[in-house]
Amino acid sequence: MNFFKELTKGIIKENPIFVIVLGMCPTLAVTTSVKNAIGMGLAATFVLLCSNIIISLIKDITPSSIRIPIYIVVIAAFVSVVNMLMEAYVPALHKSLGLFIPLIVVNCIILGRAEAFASKNNVIMSAADGIGMGLGFTLSLMVVSTIRELLGAGTWLGIKILPATYDPMLVAILAPGAFLTLGFLMAILSMVKEKKQ
Amino acid sequence: MKDKYLVSAAPHVHDGSSIKNVMWNVVLALVPALVFAVYYWGLRALMLSLTGALSAVIAEALIQKWRKVPITVHDGSAFLTGLLLAFNIHVGAPIWLPMVGAVFAIGVGKQVFGGLGNNPVNPALLGRAFLLASWPTRMTAGWVAAKGGAISGINNLSRIATDLPSLSPKAYELLTGATPLNVAKTLRDTSFVAEINAKAGGLELGSRILSSLTEMETLKSLFWGNIGGCIGEVSAFALLLGAAYLLVRNIIEWRIPLFYIGTVFVLSFFFGGIGENGTSLMLPFFHIFAGGLLLGAFFMATDYTTTPYTKTGRIIFGIGCGLLTIVIRLVGGYPEGVSYSILLMNVFTPLIDKLTMPKSFGKVKK
Amino acid sequence: MMYYLKLGFILLIFCVVATGILAYLNTLTAPIIQDRKTKDEIDTREKLIPDAVFAADSTASGMQYFRARAKEDSTLVLGYTFICSQKGYSSEVKTMVGIDKDFKVLAIKVIDQAETPGLGANCEQESFSNQFKNLAEADLKVDKDGGQVVSLSGATITSRAIASSIQAGIAAIKASMGAEL
Repeated sequence: MNFFKELTKGIIKENPIFVIVLGMCPTLAVTTSVKNAIGMGLAATFVLLCSNIIISLIKDITPSSIRIPIYIVVIAAFVSVVNMLMEAYVPALHKSLGLFIPLIVVNCIILGRAEAFASKNNVIMSAADGIGMGLGFTLSLMVVSTIRELLGAGTWLGIKILPATYDPMLVAILAPGAFLTLGFLMAILSMVKEKKQ
Repeated sequence: MKDKYLVSAAPHVHDGSSIKNVMWNVVLALVPALVFAVYYWGLRALMLSLTGALSAVIAEALIQKWRKVPITVHDGSAFLTGLLLAFNIHVGAPIWLPMVGAVFAIGVGKQVFGGLGNNPVNPALLGRAFLLASWPTRMTAGWVAAKGGAISGINNLSRIATDLPSLSPKAYELLTGATPLNVAKTLRDTSFVAEINAKAGGLELGSRILSSLTEMETLKSLFWGNIGGCIGEVSAFALLLGAAYLLVRNIIEWRIPLFYIGTVFVLSFFFGGIGENGTSLMLPFFHIFAGGLLLGAFFMATDYTTTPYTKTGRIIFGIGCGLLTIVIRLVGGYPEGVSYSILLMNVFTPLIDKLTMPKSFGKVKK
Repeated sequence: MMYYLKLGFILLIFCVVATGILAYLNTLTAPIIQDRKTKDEIDTREKLIPDAVFAADSTASGMQYFRARAKEDSTLVLGYTFICSQKGYSSEVKTMVGIDKDFKVLAIKVIDQAETPGLGANCEQESFSNQFKNLAEADLKVDKDGGQVVSLSGATITSRAIASSIQAGIAAIKASMGAEL
């Protein structure tokens, strides 16, 4: 088990969205634009990194029968920290992510990594896992939102990409578009995997 | 399809029906509606319909080739899906709309699930729902009046409205440039009715327009189809003709259409009136002839794959569709609810089948 | 028994530590957040009615508004700004409005909404908000209802919410001015 492996596994091999299928709520909700996706991804990565480090540090003093409530307290505290910092220093991003920031608390990627990894590994590995998973989450959100924003608004990060004659396919930035995009991406990913084997 | 799944003792005789036979017969039954559409709107209606049908066929063939499964486009099911989808689009729509819709209907509505017989919902309706969510203005604006009629079906409406030069252009357009169901929906908007009543100087214009919706003359227009609307749904007469053919040939079963239309009839009679305008026996006929109810009830709510196969199940399905259609038309945000009601009931089909499955002989209740 | 008390105690300690950290951080960020909110509001207000000095006031019905006076001449009332809101299609649509002394709209800015992206959410675009310029109370209805506001395509409800909330706001200020005069 080495540091680098833990850092990169979240990007493809154990991608939290397309492979482990965790954190679907934020994935479906915030991917209407690339800007939101990056914001959500980075906020979740920060929380994931901090909670992984703390949970790994306290793993020896955590009684196993109440570990879940303790993880939730740790995660919720960091989410509140992110919420306050964002509202104070990047209010524009906070406004568009608004409702979703508190949702990071129940983002199962974070609790999932706490339970499956950080509570069993040392601090350095847990930090690597947190960053790796967070990056995988962020990249996946970016892929989903790139497709949705391009099709649904003809823009990328707010910049007009497709010609003005393109009539935006609104469904892509509505809720069904999220499910469709996610479904197709998962299908493509498993097709690629099947071919490799 | 009648009683086809009833268990009976052997020997069994094959009646020669096949998917191919059924599908092309349904297409044949839709020809009168297409003929009427071409009569009313010219060759553009034919072009859009064929574009939809052929795009669906090409999409199905390409996807089947890619999936390395036998190419079965000759069975007519893709052609029918594409045709039904185009029938749900109005003649003023751009040519790419039925194309994109048909590709989505076949690709996402059908082939993703494994092709014919495996799709959970009606692909044509899914395609329509996709188009409506993606390009709402293209799907619901720019209605074209059929030859010899007004878009709203109320021939004296333009007279009522031009009597009132003070009416805002937008309000005027809403009353004259919209389909009958759109007008009925607009009149449910109390602030709009208050506005036009005020402009009419206490003439109760709202009620006047509403009552003209259910006049004999309007119903006649709805029946023959010289109104504005989607390509396939416009003429009640043509659809009934096709439906009669399918019923006589035993291709569709009477339960779903009867209970669907019957539910709409009863509910619209009791709840269809607006404000002081009470109900009348004309109101249910308005709700049956207007919009896509007949097209939906006979041609889409009878799809074999996506509707229940028990008799009781079909009755439940029909009543459910009717209920949802009326709820959407009278209370919901959209003027028309046929396609969404059928899609929603499609999703309930497995559940209905499970609940209404007859017990096998000798099985004791646990 | 002791075991459960111990568990509860451990959990309590975690909660106390977390709460302490959050409380401390809150004292740091809360003033910044408040400052920014006030500053945003002032910025928007100044954009709506430039070169003015604002003074807070409220109508008899309790609606907050600001009276704008010219910078050079404090006896000259330029107009008023206020925030109004009404339920749109899927959210409360909040708009800040600047009106001149004849109660005609100078400019509006939608400051808070969560309407359907691509449809109602377009109400933040300038092409929509610019058309409110110079509209009087009576014109503040969507075109469908006989007003001057061209509604967003596919989002009549959002457009109507904005128009009618502004209309109600102007009416309230007018009424309160009438009482003063």
